Amino acid sequence: MALAVEADQLVKRFSGRSGTVDAVRGVDLRVTEGEVFGFLGPNGAGKSTTVRMLTTLMTITSGSARVAGIDVTADPDAARRGIGVALQEAGLDPRQSGRELLVLQSRLFGSTAAQAADRAQELLELVDLVDAADRRIKGYSGGMKRRLDLASALVHQPQVLFLDEPTTGLDPASRLTVWEEMRRINAQGTTVFLTTQYLEEADQLCSRLAIIDGGVIVREGTPDELKAELRQRLSLAVEPSLDDVFLDATGRTRERIAGQVQEVQG
Amino acid sequence: MNQHLVLGQRAIREVLRTPESLFPTVFIPLFFLVVNVGQAGRIFPAGATSFLEGQNYAAFQVPSALLLAASFGSAALYLVEDIEGGYFDKLRAAPVSRTAIVLGRLSAEAAKSVAISALIVLLSLPFGISVASGALGFVLLLLLAAAWSVVFSGFMQLIALKSRSAAATQSGSLVFFPLLFLTPNFVPRDLLTRPMEIAATLNPVTYIMEALRSLILDDLAWAKIDRGFAVVAVFGLVMVALNVRTIRAYD
Repeated sequence: MALAVEADQLVKRFSGRSGTVDAVRGVDLRVTEGEVFGFLGPNGAGKSTTVRMLTTLMTITSGSARVAGIDVTADPDAARRGIGVALQEAGLDPRQSGRELLVLQSRLFGSTAAQAADRAQELLELVDLVDAADRRIKGYSGGMKRRLDLASALVHQPQVLFLDEPTTGLDPASRLTVWEEMRRINAQGTTVFLTTQYLEEADQLCSRLAIIDGGVIVREGTPDELKAELRQRLSLAVEPSLDDVFLDATGRTRERIAGQVQEVQG
Repeated sequence: MNQHLVLGQRAIREVLRTPESLFPTVFIPLFFLVVNVGQAGRIFPAGATSFLEGQNYAAFQVPSALLLAASFGSAALYLVEDIEGGYFDKLRAAPVSRTAIVLGRLSAEAAKSVAISALIVLLSLPFGISVASGALGFVLLLLLAAAWSVVFSGFMQLIALKSRSAAATQSGSLVFFPLLFLTPNFVPRDLLTRPMEIAATLNPVTYIMEALRSLILDDLAWAKIDRGFAVVAVFGLVMVALNVRTIRAYD
């Protein structure tokens, strides 16, 4: 299988008056075409910084990255044509309507006005926003904004879709709707690179995942492989959850006491 | 070109959907016009003041009002909103020319300035002013004011891109006031005190003001007009180039 995302020794260093911080310290990643790849980590672990480098939004201090087969540093515009991006903060213009936003986004990718109008209608139907299409975005609910953001990342039918915490702050019903959209998009052949803080989400959606902590990858594999490895290593009597894998990988442990869950520093 | 137009249309739509932001842009320059004419109009009577070329003192003050209105651009504040709301990243993650991102907003600002300048000239007519350079002069007047709005909005956008803060960007607009008051704002340059004359000569806004003033008071005085357009062309190119470079290096 061809690689949709490939990173070699990716490093991001921030320098400021208060000193130098290495937010990402030599990350290697391989995501094959058609996968839903989960990228997990605690707050400040380097997830979003890695995504911003892979999506051309941030310069790479050292190392290299290719998305959709294109080097993001050597030819960022070509890389941008191959990717769709929905970041943590839904990037929407509140003064436009949902339809206007999608038409504009489509035209920025080179569509004619007629093509852009058709594509906007298709996407509005896909994310179930036809009824709200001509209302200003500032009146949309959080879930509607998230779905519209997802739709705007799909206007040009990207090969790889980057979703940075797409369900953070959503209610359970909206979260399930976004999951459904993600599955549908992936079933159409789009590779999904998903960062999330919700381990259940990763367990439900991802075929493979990596856990980043302190700017380095600390675990990588399928959810089942990671659970089996932990069970074997710690000789656990019961199947661990992805939460257990995550806590173990990030240097914390959890004790189960009579049905209660207690988190302690390892 | 297509991307530039599409982004320009979006920026115009943005302005039209926040009409309340246009009110101070028209009101404050007219307020200064009324106050300045009220305070100094009798010192410079129309018939006895040679630099007024037969018009009244309001005609001499209209260029200040036009420059002030053209410096109340909102492009940079909308840009900060885009940055804070994440839409700017959406644009940067698309294969959009960085020049189109800059020119889209600045073109909309120029279009807005043409409309507002025309309105200010229209509202100044009851003061008894006329545009001595005729229809062509009126068009040049609007174009020069619009070109200045591009320069100043470009400067404000630079602050927005560097600071990513609405407060810092808003404060940046205050830079215009020293620039405006270090011009031959109340009398021609040759009547200023020597230090003020030197300051005004070094201030590029002086040449734009003198070009605007010549279009209102004189027939087409090409030397002054050319100098005004040359200043906005040079500073406009510098601002666009700096904006594009800043967006390219934006992390």
